[in-house]
Amino acid sequence: MMSRFFSPNVFLGIAPIVLVIAVWQGLVSFGFAPAVLLPPPGFVFGRLLQQLVTFAFQQEIAATLIRLFAGFAIAVVLGVSIGIAAAANPAINAVVRPIVRVLAPLPKVALYPALLLLLGFGHGSKITLVAADALFPILLSTYYGASTVEQKLIWSAMAAGTPRYEILFKVVLPAAMPSILTGCRIGLVISCIVVFLAEMITSTDGLGHALVTAARTFQAVDMFVPLITISLLGLILNGLLGALRSYLLRGFPEA
Amino acid sequence: MKARQNGRGSNDAPHVCEGDGLSGRFLAKLVLLNVRASETRYGMTVVAARSSEWMRPVTSQEPASAIIEIDRVSQVFQTSARKDHLALSDISLTIEEGAFVSILGPSGCGKSTLLYIVGGFVSPTSGMAKIKGHAITGPGPDRGPVFQEFALFPWKTVLGNVMYGPRQQGVRAAEAEAQSRALIEMVGLKGFESFYPKELSGGMKQRVALARTLAYHPEVLLMDEPFGALDAHTRTRLQNDLLTIWERDRKTVLFVTHSVDEAVFLSDKVVMMSKSPGRIRQVIDIDLPRPRRRNELLLDPRYQKYVVDIERMFDESDEAGPVS
Amino acid sequence: MMTPAALTKRAAPVLACIGLLAVWQVASLALKNDSFPTAIEAVRAIPDILGDKESLLNILASLRRMAIGFGVAVLVSIPLGLLMGRSRSIAAFFNPLLMVIYPVPKAALMPIIMLWLGVGDVTKTLVIFLGVSLPVIYHSFEGAKAVEEKMLWSGAAMGLSPAQRLVRIVLPAALPEILTGCRTGLVLALITMITSEMIARQSGAGNILFNALDMGQYDTVFAMIIIVGAMGIFLDALFERARARLVRWSEPQFDMPLSFS
Ligand SMILES: Nc1ncnc2c1ncn2[C@@H]1O[C@H](COP(=O)(O)OP(=O)(O)OP(=O)(O)O)[C@@H](O)[C@H]1O
Ligand SMILES: [Mg+2]
Repeated sequence: MMSRFFSPNVFLGIAPIVLVIAVWQGLVSFGFAPAVLLPPPGFVFGRLLQQLVTFAFQQEIAATLIRLFAGFAIAVVLGVSIGIAAAANPAINAVVRPIVRVLAPLPKVALYPALLLLLGFGHGSKITLVAADALFPILLSTYYGASTVEQKLIWSAMAAGTPRYEILFKVVLPAAMPSILTGCRIGLVISCIVVFLAEMITSTDGLGHALVTAARTFQAVDMFVPLITISLLGLILNGLLGALRSYLLRGFPEA
Repeated sequence: MKARQNGRGSNDAPHVCEGDGLSGRFLAKLVLLNVRASETRYGMTVVAARSSEWMRPVTSQEPASAIIEIDRVSQVFQTSARKDHLALSDISLTIEEGAFVSILGPSGCGKSTLLYIVGGFVSPTSGMAKIKGHAITGPGPDRGPVFQEFALFPWKTVLGNVMYGPRQQGVRAAEAEAQSRALIEMVGLKGFESFYPKELSGGMKQRVALARTLAYHPEVLLMDEPFGALDAHTRTRLQNDLLTIWERDRKTVLFVTHSVDEAVFLSDKVVMMSKSPGRIRQVIDIDLPRPRRRNELLLDPRYQKYVVDIERMFDESDEAGPVS
Repeated sequence: MMTPAALTKRAAPVLACIGLLAVWQVASLALKNDSFPTAIEAVRAIPDILGDKESLLNILASLRRMAIGFGVAVLVSIPLGLLMGRSRSIAAFFNPLLMVIYPVPKAALMPIIMLWLGVGDVTKTLVIFLGVSLPVIYHSFEGAKAVEEKMLWSGAAMGLSPAQRLVRIVLPAALPEILTGCRTGLVLALITMITSEMIARQSGAGNILFNALDMGQYDTVFAMIIIVGAMGIFLDALFERARARLVRWSEPQFDMPLSFS
């Protein structure tokens, strides 16, 4: 989804980021904002580098990443299998469709208190929340991809002697792959956002928790650090997924 | 055995004859008489005398060699307006083993549908299709489709696409690869084995699609306007190649096309269909020598005559409009 | 007159709701967990919340912030997205910045913005605004980019100025895509609203939810979840209605975020 945000005009693109940082610096330098509220950018990035090498901060990142990956992985497995099953089987479709209609627009964060009550304050509730939020974009785009597979691809495979259940793995799944990966991309960004929020709402570790701790003690610098970290994590993960995508979709036009 | 009529009157249009042996021939004569009558009536040379050579019913040969039998097949589609649309009406056709049969007809007359029924992709509303005496209930590797849209697997390379069928049949990987490479070479794509379909031109894609289908050795090739999406030049080349391949191993081919030239050039038999509802209007034997060479054939007056006659029949059915 | 098939189709989501509540009921009865009330208990608690004047005002205040944040975001993002879609340099200018902002949880900006602007309505509305803008910009951008060049050429040939072309050709042509973005934005607005209130813990629906959690009023927690969930489903259904009317001409499409077909 975001690869198309890229464009050859790199310099033009760097300009606004530089501009934002310059305005930020300017606000601090000319005394419009006290450094307590808005620390200068150099200070923030210095602090980021300094933090990145400490074990404690690395552990926060690790905690966040574990939850993010676990939740995202569950969402991918469930989303892809339910999506394909719903596209392949009318009976499953009849059950899944209305349930998804109801659950998809439901703001999943609202479920978080319930998850806390049921699964406790540990990893379980956060991972479940991430999975619940990332599930629907993946499920819906898998369903879309699987139900729009070119009929003649399926026929070609059937004529070559592929049994019905194998068609699902040998034709439908690979043919739906572009759409599935688009869903995964959306799901990944959502996972980043949700895991951070869950950690902010209640947690004892993770990047979100680091932000909340800093906010409690009004340490503006330390509030920026986790935010920039999650943004960088998002960019890196997105880049990795993009690389995986162009590898998996190397045969597809416009991958 | 029955004869069906098409057109407004009983004697201003050719008839379709299906049946066996003598009675079929007998009917064909009747048809001819009718046509001659219409000739004199309207002062047109609809069908020349020599046409007796090809106005033969399709099942005139021994039924023993029949590989595909289509028996009173009808197909009704439910359209969104909740009206039933009769796409194929009571089609009966027999195709002999090793024959190259083309289906010609106006757009929407149900050519593709008929082919899909033989392929087992669509089950007919009534009637049945048989291959070698067994009812067709689904797709199988004895019938290989080649679609106008190529339908190559975009996630597989040329080699991967061609190997798919043999691998599915349980051929060992090394053997399947060797066979596939040979086939790819035969369709003239040596050197492109590791290309993806998106990197090929339309004509190349269609060659791959043909190779992919040939790779699992179907007894019958079902080709639905395979060259329809190609430019004239590529189309001619692929026609020649297809003929060469066919003349070598004489598979049965059921070939849907819009092009009269193509049908006459390639086929032993041309099945002409009419629209609304889809019916077989006429079956025409193409009695031209094989192997056929394009440059010779184009100059052959018999070839030209077939083309002109069939085109004229098309025009007539256009003038007649949809017959219901 | 509705045919039985259409009736089932209409009723299916309702059936699904009832089914989900039934599953909940059975699960809570089976678990016998104090902190997991049955569905019936939770539903019974709903009138208490909606009957309570303060809670109701809180929820309405939340909704008002959401409406303002959403409205302003849409008004700003659509023109920006359209401009980006039609001009390479504008797109090149904004894309990287948007790409950096995209994975940042907008509600996580709450503490920082609170530091600057206090805990008032402005902060919360601003956060909702940020949450809604990105998907709307993205979809408007994609929609505008996909507008057929020839349509614009014929517009230019008819003497439309660039601005007129943007409003009279690009906007309607990109409308289906824009509305898809708005629909995602609407659900995101709700999510951001709840989350920011959960983080700020001052007022609003998210606050009621967590206060109840802290005080151990578990049936209120679950009743509130039902209320928020119902808001989501209701807003989405409402928007889908509007969307279907606005873009009746467009092909029925699978629009991503929320519903099948
Ligand atoms: N799945 C379907 N549902 C409803 N109607 C269909 C379906 N498939 C085909 N038809 C109808 O059946 C008729 C025959 O279709 P078919 O595709 O077989 O025609 P055709 O002869 O192959 O046409 P063309 O030469 O344009 O490919 C058409 O009127 C078409 O509208
Ligand atoms: Mg067709």
